[in-house]
Amino acid sequence: MTAHDLAKAPDLQLPPLQIEKLPSGLTLVAIQKRGLPLFHARLSLPAGACEDPRGKAGLAQFTVDLLRRGTRRRPAQDVDEMIESMGAQLAAEVSTEEAALALTVPVELSERALDALLEVALEPAFEESEVAAARRRTVAALQSDLDDPATVAGRAVVTMGYGPGHPYAHPAQGFRRDVDTFQREDALSFHATRYQQQGALLAVVGEATPAELLEQLKRKLSQWESSWPGRSQRGALQFTALPPSEGMRTVVIHKPDATQAQVRIVAPGLPRSTPRYAEAVVANTALGGGFTSLLVDAIRVDRGLSYSVSTRLHMNRRAGLSVFSSFTKNETLRELVDVALEKMRAYAQTGPSEDALDKARRYLAGLFPLGLESHEALAEQIADAILDGLGLQHIQTYRSRVLAVAPQQARSIAPEISPARDGALLVVVGEADAARRALDGLSPTDTRQLEEFG
Amino acid sequence: MPLSEKDFPVEERTLGNGLQIRLLPDRSLPVCTAYSFFRVGSRNERPGITGISHLFEHMMFNGSKKYGPKEFDRRLEAAGGSSNAYTSHDLTAYYEDFASEALPLVLDLESDRMASLIIDDDSLARERDVVKEERRFRTDNDIDGMLDEALGALSYFAHPYRWPVIGWMSDIEAITRQDCESYFRTYYAPSNCTLVLVGDFETAAAMREIERLYGGIAPGGPRPEVPTGEPAQKGERRAEVRYPSQAPSVLAGFRGPPGRDADSLVLDLIEAALSAGEGARLKRALVYEQELCVDAHVYFGWRMDPALFEISLKLNPGVDPARAESSLWAELSRISDEQISERELERAKNLVRNQLLRALSTTNGRAHTIGQMEMMLGSWRAMLDLPDRYAAITAADVQRVARKTFAPHRRNVVTLTPGEVVA
Repeated sequence: MTAHDLAKAPDLQLPPLQIEKLPSGLTLVAIQKRGLPLFHARLSLPAGACEDPRGKAGLAQFTVDLLRRGTRRRPAQDVDEMIESMGAQLAAEVSTEEAALALTVPVELSERALDALLEVALEPAFEESEVAAARRRTVAALQSDLDDPATVAGRAVVTMGYGPGHPYAHPAQGFRRDVDTFQREDALSFHATRYQQQGALLAVVGEATPAELLEQLKRKLSQWESSWPGRSQRGALQFTALPPSEGMRTVVIHKPDATQAQVRIVAPGLPRSTPRYAEAVVANTALGGGFTSLLVDAIRVDRGLSYSVSTRLHMNRRAGLSVFSSFTKNETLRELVDVALEKMRAYAQTGPSEDALDKARRYLAGLFPLGLESHEALAEQIADAILDGLGLQHIQTYRSRVLAVAPQQARSIAPEISPARDGALLVVVGEADAARRALDGLSPTDTRQLEEFG
Repeated sequence: MPLSEKDFPVEERTLGNGLQIRLLPDRSLPVCTAYSFFRVGSRNERPGITGISHLFEHMMFNGSKKYGPKEFDRRLEAAGGSSNAYTSHDLTAYYEDFASEALPLVLDLESDRMASLIIDDDSLARERDVVKEERRFRTDNDIDGMLDEALGALSYFAHPYRWPVIGWMSDIEAITRQDCESYFRTYYAPSNCTLVLVGDFETAAAMREIERLYGGIAPGGPRPEVPTGEPAQKGERRAEVRYPSQAPSVLAGFRGPPGRDADSLVLDLIEAALSAGEGARLKRALVYEQELCVDAHVYFGWRMDPALFEISLKLNPGVDPARAESSLWAELSRISDEQISERELERAKNLVRNQLLRALSTTNGRAHTIGQMEMMLGSWRAMLDLPDRYAAITAADVQRVARKTFAPHRRNVVTLTPGEVVA
């Protein structure tokens, strides 16, 4: 019935593409994808949340949000019209490492799409009134986010998981106390120093050949050459190793009237560049990925304690976290935490069983191509592999590397990806009295207020 | 421009037992997606067992004659695949994404559970606990969930759409094994299912395998009629939810047409005009200009019976809900009273068309769209004509449908007021 055999031909054939790095430091990627008449463009800039100046958490995100609120050529309303009249919605996102602007349009509108993308990225007006309005909007949104316990838990994990002063130790959206201080000059200065060709990448996916797409990109870029901010030096980020610590500590974040507690267990993890990437993702999948992992089995299937259970590796360029996530009703909080810790501690000693290892390898290898299907996913995966310094072979050989992970490799990395170990932090977002009672005697516990995390 | 049948060479077949099969080969990647759509959702329930469609969706992963408990996902993942499912008011859909070599296994797993699902008390007890946690997560501790539940109960008096898909907590607790067995016999039959397969396979061989595995399953008996009657709404209805939130919210709903009614397509365009993109009317007015809301969002999804056109306003802390509501009504009056410009209509059409194309850009998206068209519009072919049908909608159509739908006496409004929970 089928033509392919996972074990025999694991490497993945990428669609035709060309990559060129310009003398300016800007990398161009042109990818040909036939089928649907769509064109996608994605501009990645070295302007992620880790670049937020001290005391200005959220500035990278604030700057991206302002890009579409008016350019030097047109007011905000006309920017929206320019993009959305093409049927596109501009994705403007900030991750830990980068800012990315992306849009997808009918293929015949590729010229207009590139113009719109470059105008928004390179020529924002940052008008005083728009900066003030964005500040009010962001502060209101940050407060509103406190209503979602899972969002609060995620923000707490990032903030406390990396430790004070670490460039990754704040959520991209920042905090109200910082956002409240943002002025026009902050956005202008961030844009001028981070929105540069050096370290940026422009990827397009379309029906034309890679050579034709590359030609189109160069032609378009020449029209926008003078709009790029000038080159300027910015200080190197200081990455300190996460401090070693013993035992576990607990932080309870009080959410009044919650009948369910959000639970995270977080420990230092691995950077994306680790040479042990394949064994790390395989070992993590056996522990807490998919629907049949050790933890899903123990917590959801065998005990019915939660609807959702997972472990995830947050792998950034220079540091990472291992995070366990779940939730349960207040009455079974202690049981869930005890089962999770017991299973993860045991896993750190033994690693996956042979069956679990084989399942994890084939699960990851089999599903991997699905993550490269859409125009958007293809551009993002390829851009990230290049920007993270991993190269295309990271994608092309992913399946063979994953399938080759040996039992000994998985066992030896298990203690490094299991979140339950010395220095781990247990974060609970829920009704504080109930949570403290449930967790009594487990570890030193701090109680924090919701407001600190928004 | 319509989508071309040449690009979607769907093979259709209906087996003797009524199973509908739709196959779309695509050899570009070594992957497939299989969907099993069952025509059963919360509209097929009755008071006392609300939530059984969704609880049953969970039970489908707990073992059958050939593949025992825990085997379904274990076998699938070991073969390079993953599964999931969802339940809506109208249907329950199960799907598997997988490396194409796992196709024989996927068909065996799916046909085995359709032919011989095992429901035991222990697995039902555990799954009930899991679903109660899901309800606490999605509804009891989630503002959107609690407002949505209140809006359904407010907007429908008689129709089963009045209860939430996940069901009332007391009903989830009360559903018995016998209820589940009866539900399975009634609704999980080939004659109530459409199987969609998209991806890397050889059509004739796949069809033969499906016939071999599914052909012997009994077709299933008649299914009860759904009580679809609903009295006309004669005035605005309101409800309040008190919860210790940071800010108030407003969720408004208007009963619209069923998915098969051509006016549903007009409402898709109205949805885009009001809330798709940052330049949409509600976002521009309520979020950017008047600074009343953090977010203003419309949701309109086709249903088998008259669906709700929902508008969610997440207010800025301290904003008076009455003020936000009044701005919302002004915007709805504007789209009802003044004809939308050609330019704005074109923008909405382009956004909706792009959304459709992007949904078709993945294997899973193609399989889901084919199945959804079968369920909601009666044939997957409806998707080919959709771009042309949207293109033919005029500004006068938009005004006519907006007037009909957003009349003040048809409003249903739920307000979230920050405050202590009243037990």
